[in-house]
Amino acid sequence: MEISRRKVVQSAIATGTLAAAGAPAIGRAQSAPPANRTIRAVMQGDLRSFDPIWTTANVTAYHGAMIYDMLFSIDAEFKPQPQMVDTWTVSDDKLTYTFVLRDGLAWHDGTKVTANDCVASIKRWSARDGGGQALMARTKSITAKDDKTFVIALNSPFGLVIDVLAKPSTPVCFMMPLKDAETDPNQQITGRTGSGPFIFNVAETKPGNRYVYDRNPHYVPRKEPASGMAGGKVVKVDRVIYENLADDQTALAALQTGEIDFFEVIPIDFLPQVKDDPDITVEILNKTGNVGFLGMNNLHSPFDKLQARQAMLYLVNQTDFLKASFGDSKYYRTCNSYFGCGTDMENDANTGWFKAAPDKAMAKKLFMESGYDGRPVVILQPSNFAFMNNAATILGQELTDIGVKVDLATSDWGGVITRRAVQAPVDKGGWDIFTTFSSGYTVANPVGYIGDATNGKNAWFGWPTDALNEKLRDEWATAPTLADRKTVARKIQENAWNVVPHAFLGQWVAPVAHRSNVKGWLAVPEVIPFWNVSKT
Amino acid sequence: MIGFIVRRLLATVPVMVVIGLFVFLLLHLAPGDPAAIIAGDNATPDSILAIRHQLGLDQSILVQFLRWSGRVLQGDLGISIFSQTPVITLIGQRIGPTVSLTLTTAVFSVSIAICIGVLAGWQAGGVLDRIVMAFAALGFSVPVFVVGYGLIYLFAIYLRWLPVQGYVSLERGLWPWFQHLILPSLALGLAYVALIARITRTAMLDVLSEDYIRTATAKGVAATPMLLHHALRNAAVPIVTVIGLGVALLIGGVVITETVFNIPGIGRLVVDAINQRDYPIVQGIILVFSGVYVLINLAVDISYLVLDPRIRS
Amino acid sequence: MGKPINMRRFIRRNPTIVIGAIILIVLLVIAVLAPVISGDPQRLSPVERLRPPSAQHWFGTDNLGRDVFARTVWGGRISLLVGFSVAAFATVAGIGIGLLCYLSGWIEVVAMRIMDGLMAIPSILLAIALVSLSRASVGTVIIAITIPEIPRVTRLVRAVMLGVRERPFVEAATAGGSRPTKIMWRHILPATIPPLIVQATYSAASAILIEAGLSFLGAGTPPSIPTWGNMIAGSRIFLSAAPWAVFFPGVSLAVAVLAVNILGDGLRDRLDPRLSRRM
Repeated sequence: MEISRRKVVQSAIATGTLAAAGAPAIGRAQSAPPANRTIRAVMQGDLRSFDPIWTTANVTAYHGAMIYDMLFSIDAEFKPQPQMVDTWTVSDDKLTYTFVLRDGLAWHDGTKVTANDCVASIKRWSARDGGGQALMARTKSITAKDDKTFVIALNSPFGLVIDVLAKPSTPVCFMMPLKDAETDPNQQITGRTGSGPFIFNVAETKPGNRYVYDRNPHYVPRKEPASGMAGGKVVKVDRVIYENLADDQTALAALQTGEIDFFEVIPIDFLPQVKDDPDITVEILNKTGNVGFLGMNNLHSPFDKLQARQAMLYLVNQTDFLKASFGDSKYYRTCNSYFGCGTDMENDANTGWFKAAPDKAMAKKLFMESGYDGRPVVILQPSNFAFMNNAATILGQELTDIGVKVDLATSDWGGVITRRAVQAPVDKGGWDIFTTFSSGYTVANPVGYIGDATNGKNAWFGWPTDALNEKLRDEWATAPTLADRKTVARKIQENAWNVVPHAFLGQWVAPVAHRSNVKGWLAVPEVIPFWNVSKT
Repeated sequence: MIGFIVRRLLATVPVMVVIGLFVFLLLHLAPGDPAAIIAGDNATPDSILAIRHQLGLDQSILVQFLRWSGRVLQGDLGISIFSQTPVITLIGQRIGPTVSLTLTTAVFSVSIAICIGVLAGWQAGGVLDRIVMAFAALGFSVPVFVVGYGLIYLFAIYLRWLPVQGYVSLERGLWPWFQHLILPSLALGLAYVALIARITRTAMLDVLSEDYIRTATAKGVAATPMLLHHALRNAAVPIVTVIGLGVALLIGGVVITETVFNIPGIGRLVVDAINQRDYPIVQGIILVFSGVYVLINLAVDISYLVLDPRIRS
Repeated sequence: MGKPINMRRFIRRNPTIVIGAIILIVLLVIAVLAPVISGDPQRLSPVERLRPPSAQHWFGTDNLGRDVFARTVWGGRISLLVGFSVAAFATVAGIGIGLLCYLSGWIEVVAMRIMDGLMAIPSILLAIALVSLSRASVGTVIIAITIPEIPRVTRLVRAVMLGVRERPFVEAATAGGSRPTKIMWRHILPATIPPLIVQATYSAASAILIEAGLSFLGAGTPPSIPTWGNMIAGSRIFLSAAPWAVFFPGVSLAVAVLAVNILGDGLRDRLDPRLSRRM
């Protein structure tokens, strides 16, 4: 029985994406596992791409964590631990890293995971990832020595080799079979085969509606207990289904009646409704939460002027932004660190402005000193993202209060990210301000976090330029120890709060809600693991 | 009659061309770059350019249009930019729930509407009639999603009689399938019920005022069955007209109803696709919806011939 | 002229027109007087979010701490504006196209094919596409809702035209050598007015509802500009925490649409008995 079912699953996988047309016939042949062995989860959004290297969408990283495995993973204390790697060594000159894979690793089609697969996977990932690019910039070669051993040889020491391989922020360094790993990094992979604790069930999946993952019966977990994303990935249910439920009100109702088990981004305002429900538990899995990001267009007036950007530090009243979107102060905090609060890199260098803010008089003085010419400031407002939608409205009012004209450019998120990419001035389709958010874990890494680059037009949206910051980021990347990195981080922040490449709008944690009989959730930033979770 | 049908069929060709051209231009002349959306939040301008090239979005609109229409004529609606799945396949996966929802809604609303419409017409001016007319007026005046939330709260959360959301395919059993469609059909059908009930009532009134009915009633012929027969016969043509016109209304409602009740139908598919600028899906679905509309109205025109001999001449 | 007597008789004979019109006039007056009777609908104060109705905030506050009363009153302006503009633009465009069709058979063929095509595209999809694909603004929403309404009006105009064309007095005028434009202004246009007024009320009512639906799907008017539709849509997730933020705009919307519909029904019965039989 077990074997035949597995074969069915494999044949579905083997046919890959094209199987969808003929899929229902296969789907019917399988019997669905019982309700108490199935978890139905509503995640933050629809799973639109299945390639976690190609897109940075978090939900695709969730998908990746289900079906793929990693060389290293962070534990509950954010320390990297070996996952697929058995042992690893680094030479005395810190230039040669040798990795040996552990026994029992196999792709879902039954073939063995080899060092060659891993080398190709690292290469493809590093082409799309900031941390990976920093690694490759210092790498001479990555080669497989034998089936289980591969070597990364560096030109100059890089203190973060293990950290970037282990980080859970997107794109995550997932290991893929050679065929997929050799895909052009700018193209999506077509395979859905990994070596992770779950197998993607193509037959039962309906894109845009539900995504089905079955327990991988042949997965060999590590012996250590699960901690963060590290340790043994023991799957305690038969099936996990991501239900794409677009309407929050309906998702809440479904959670209340037990039609779903897990609701990832339950709006904070719903919490009073589930507080007294013994069947529903609310907990915080991502302890460092998210940080609201205020992007300013450094290429054009007014934010090409230092004073105008500094004015924003004094103008922003973080409490207003946080309160408006997250209501209950239990779930948010103001934060003045350039690296998020509660992170390794958090510090208080050069935060004098924060004690004063909000200081509208000061903000107005600075803004006017920048030579503001009275042109309306264009704020991009995505109507279908609550936090950014509210943030744009509030920013609009705060700017109006200090005598700056405002033009709220409202569209859906698709429209915002299209316009955000325009480097031209406002009268040629550009913009002045946009907002977004990143995880606290991500902003604590000035090399991995794309928003921290300040190399002008090659930097992220807003295109800030600052040579000192670039030099310090490089210094941070090569710093050998955590303590050294903390020292550099202070310098980065000291400089950043002077030149203000971007600003922050406060920090919050987003609780998840789940049925009380579903237990064992692991606390990690950026990813929601479904191993270790059991249902009674 | 055959000639009429052929002429009507031929007339649909230019209509479909207009639709195709319109849909294509609408999407391609509007701002919004699927490449930027695909590339994701942390993408660099370079990777966006690479993706745009790969999708052929850097070619002239004319080239893109010719390629697209050439493929459509061969029955190929293209491949979804995001899921890399043929649009036809996606539509095939989603058509079941939408057809189920539309059919149950149509059956629900027509049967409920005719019942209350007949009652109202029969009792014209009475309390029952007033209630029905008030209900009909209200049915037009409340947004679909408000009705939907109201029904969920009452029947799914408070009474726990019916599921909140979701769709179960027919092959998993008749009752589970039907159970999941009751609330969405009621929410979607309300405006429809209101519309058809009014038409039935008017038809009923017309029949009641006809001389032969008065005569029949005066002669003491058993009134009710005859009344019903004539009233419904008279109401048939306007009802069928409304069904034809109402397809567009229904499809609009489907988009919202599917979102409220999490039904994985075509409405959800197209809304998601618009948000992602997944052009092939949007074009394909609008074409399919429009085609269905055209066909249903063709069927409606033909049914006039059957229902009302006077039109035949 | 015994005007008072006529008035009383008018009210008795056409209660629906009078009731609908009165409600609508009241709503219009409130909308026009918005700046006088209420505060700033944009003024936000997150600290005061989701407060229940009080002496200070008659209808409570929403999730950004904005005054729901002010937003409902101002929202009426935009919602009614959307309703009336759509009705007006669709009517004008419909008459224009319809009359052009009358003047030239060639234009008629092309225009009617385009109208058939437009009519086949589901209006809400067209509106979502138009709004999401361009910048969200009240203007875009009005255009997006108007376009699918135009074919309905055009068809109506054309149906009336075809009917009138065969009436004896028009045939006589044509035979008598009157220019087509003159016939058009003298005979055709006036005949289209009564059914168009009725059609316009239905367009207005459905426009207000479609705007709400678009807001629900996140493709409506910009959230900073209050309309009843986007107030309901934006506050729906606070339904149990702050029902007032949904209730007041919701009731206003239902009452307004109801009033327009009642007025339309009354006008239809009075102006166009033939239409009333069909609907």
